[in-house]
Amino acid sequence: MFSSTSFLSERSFRSPDPVPALTVERLLRRVRRPGRYSGGEWNSIEKDWAGIAIKWCFAYPDLYEIGMSNLGLRILYEVLNERPDSLAERCFAPDVDLQAQLRESGVPVWSLESRRSLHDFDVIGLSLGYELVATNVLDMLDLAGVPLLSSERSGTDPLVIAGGSIVLNPEPLADFLDAVVLGEGEDVVGEITDALRTLGWQRRHEPGNGIERSDALRALASIRGVYVPSLYRPRYAGDGSFERLDPVDESVAPSIVGRIATDFETRVRGVRQLVPNVSIVFDRAQVEVMRGCTRGCRFCQAGMQSRPLRERPAALVVEAADAILRSTGYEEIGLTSLSSADYADVSTVASELRRRHPEAVVSLPSTRVDAFTVELADAIAPNGRRSGFTFAPEAGSQRLRDAINKGVTDEEIVRCAELAFDRGWSSIKLYFMIGLPGETVEDVEAIGRISRRVLEIGRASHGGKVQVKANVSTFVPKVGTPFQWDGQDPTSLVEEKVAVLRKAIHGKGLALSWDDPRASILEAALGRGDRRLGRVIRRAWQNGAHLDAWDEHFNFEAWQHAFAEEGLDPAWYAQRDIPLTQPLPWDHLGPGVSRGFLLRERKRATAALTTPDCHWGPCSNCGVPASTGFSCDTGEQGPRARLLIGDHGTRTDGSRAAGPEVGRPPRWRYAGPPGDPRRGQAAETP
Amino acid sequence: MSETRQRWRLVFRRDEPAMYLSHLDAIHSWERALRRGSIPMAMSEGFNPRPKLVFAAPLQLGMLAEHELADLFLAERLTAPDLRDRLAACLPLGYVATDLFDVWAGEPALAPQLAAADYRLILLGAIPEQVAGAVERLLAAVSLPRERQREARTIKYDLRPLVMGLRAASPEASSAAGAWTGAGVASASWPGAVAGNAAAAGALPPGDSLPPEEPATLLWMRLRHSQDGGTGRVEEVVAALAQEIGLSLAWTGGEEQARPAAMPTEPGSGAGTVEIVRPVRERLWLARELV
Repeated sequence: MFSSTSFLSERSFRSPDPVPALTVERLLRRVRRPGRYSGGEWNSIEKDWAGIAIKWCFAYPDLYEIGMSNLGLRILYEVLNERPDSLAERCFAPDVDLQAQLRESGVPVWSLESRRSLHDFDVIGLSLGYELVATNVLDMLDLAGVPLLSSERSGTDPLVIAGGSIVLNPEPLADFLDAVVLGEGEDVVGEITDALRTLGWQRRHEPGNGIERSDALRALASIRGVYVPSLYRPRYAGDGSFERLDPVDESVAPSIVGRIATDFETRVRGVRQLVPNVSIVFDRAQVEVMRGCTRGCRFCQAGMQSRPLRERPAALVVEAADAILRSTGYEEIGLTSLSSADYADVSTVASELRRRHPEAVVSLPSTRVDAFTVELADAIAPNGRRSGFTFAPEAGSQRLRDAINKGVTDEEIVRCAELAFDRGWSSIKLYFMIGLPGETVEDVEAIGRISRRVLEIGRASHGGKVQVKANVSTFVPKVGTPFQWDGQDPTSLVEEKVAVLRKAIHGKGLALSWDDPRASILEAALGRGDRRLGRVIRRAWQNGAHLDAWDEHFNFEAWQHAFAEEGLDPAWYAQRDIPLTQPLPWDHLGPGVSRGFLLRERKRATAALTTPDCHWGPCSNCGVPASTGFSCDTGEQGPRARLLIGDHGTRTDGSRAAGPEVGRPPRWRYAGPPGDPRRGQAAETP
Repeated sequence: MSETRQRWRLVFRRDEPAMYLSHLDAIHSWERALRRGSIPMAMSEGFNPRPKLVFAAPLQLGMLAEHELADLFLAERLTAPDLRDRLAACLPLGYVATDLFDVWAGEPALAPQLAAADYRLILLGAIPEQVAGAVERLLAAVSLPRERQREARTIKYDLRPLVMGLRAASPEASSAAGAWTGAGVASASWPGAVAGNAAAAGALPPGDSLPPEEPATLLWMRLRHSQDGGTGRVEEVVAALAQEIGLSLAWTGGEEQARPAAMPTEPGSGAGTVEIVRPVRERLWLARELV
């Protein structure tokens, strides 16, 4: 056993040597699924540290099963390792059992490749994909001996740089971050590497080097799309509301707009994708067919902030997918984007991939609810087990669906269900939200009506064995969307609505599941929060909150106490309607779409008016070309020809199941080994 | 549904990068590897066809290996050099194919032919002399009744007939031949040659050393591994030895593994525990090889 004088505790956090293999082994023999911490995955890259200037470690603040599923990580890992002067290693949040072992033994959390402490790297790259990973960030820094606060870090500590889909408002985490990369990372990670190398950041340990941390922060701030929170000072009004954020001097940019990768349409990055040794949530190869989404769903942060829409040519996608399948040996490839059924060449690509790899499964996420999606799913999984088909109508009534700009009609939902049942699916899963702005009890009841209607359609063709599952989550107002000003329903109202649903959706063949509304409050509060929440996050972490995104670890009491101790109210952040005139803590960070567009869309929502997708219809003047300098080739071109899947003769025998998934971010659920009954779905972060 | 045209027997080792794969993870990883290597595998029948790859015996999570066996059934004939090159280029990191035999496609399955397996490991936390004494007593015993959990059931069985050989040595011993105590196998491969130093024996990764303040013992054993006659488990033998000297075996191995009975549920639950590190399955033996 580890005694108090164990050799394990002699290693300091600051040691430049790898954690000894025997130490790692003794720890890993005590934890669940140790393959998550041992590295050695196919296509992992371990570079010799000698002669490498800038050493990055991507610290993904969630468990291996989630982090390894992230396509962004696979891409940036390749981009940085391709350069001769940089390397990138990986580290994922340790599960609770390993965390306890690390703390007891004093061993730092290590990178999977060279087994070095995170502290030994020049840059820690944090991928922030979800608000509730905040405490995991603190865990990972703490387990590496990196001071939690940016202001407390000294010259030799690594730089902590965050990116990812929630950094449109990084303010709650601002105190812990040295810099934040807004937008897409492919180009900017190289620019950061260049800047740090020029500065000599890697030589900061050497005596008398004269390299100041503040110089590094200034250098980062001069890179387009990089935000350095410590160069801004927040001010609050007497009533507690946010007033403004002042740059410390005039050399600091007053506002920052997210980056857009320059070569997305001509080059596929991340071909030699990592193949995990233990199962992960999205255990498949991935090729991105399209980036951005112009559907304009008013609640959707990803859709609003990822514009402009860019599609990759079919030939590029096919060649890349081919190379990815050959280099990984994966049996399944996902054609990823926010809504891949909208990708113009989806049928061509899917059929060509099936021709080249008849044994591989092709899957794709889709947010579309229409016959085309069903036909597509049918064509790419012709003989598979049709375990479940998923649609996301999002709201129950036509009026509310129009208000959120989810332009789908009752007839289309019915038609979709008919078709899916006709093509052999016997279970349909429906995703809805409650608490959307302007929702009434009738809208909630309509969720029950449409669910029962779908069940009846299924019974008519399949009889009694049909299953309809309605998954209901609580609306979370997201920064950078037309609904960013709208408050969440009070908890009591959410509970009433759930009660209405429980009455409406029950009985044979119908199942209802709903997310923990307390997690939604926290998600909204952290999503719309200001810098004062940094203290709350730290308190909650001290109170024992971690892995909050996992139902089995979520500790709401720790958060409630933390808010109370800091004299702040989560409901104020999550549930209040913010006056349109009030300054917002994230006003200085640009998603690309203009404030005018968000306000116009909000107004149209109030009147339940839809705005057409500019991919097929007229330009909606979202402001992205003006703010990003990107010209989009959509708008005013009229509908593009949709290829019908039946024309391609894609039916091939010997294939396996692949139902389409719906790419929206639900709460993570348990993602244990296959066969574990607790195993659930989780979302992909493109 | 593709027909087998060729059957190869593969001898392979498993090194550190692949140490923490469970048997299922290993199957999955190998299937991906065989696709990467464009190895023309024959496929199984059924709704969900899988490449016909058969491991002689599951290798438990956390175990290294030096002489494992697997049969690969190919749908097209390959030459040995061709297959060797493809395997070298595609196998999961940590797996190394060391030998290949073209065997008759109609030969009986591998698993029923197994008779024994050799293991070695380092035992931490027990004084070597005490372990040596325990080894002697264990070998002298006529029977060793033990219980082990299999899911919800408790199985009672006799461990003694499953132990074909067992030896212990102190890593500090200067002369290996004299230092090893125990019996059962005439010429044990590892103990015979080793000069008592764990690192030199290849038992430790390069650059690592054993913790100086913790007593360590090298253990070697041959256990029966037979579909009919039963299969001995390393941790059961170690637990029996630990029990003999009034200690218990720390729970190691994660939830994927069967937990031997009478094992503390929490790791680090106080003094009096021993710990297994660097366990290696040295070799699987077929019945005909042991005669």
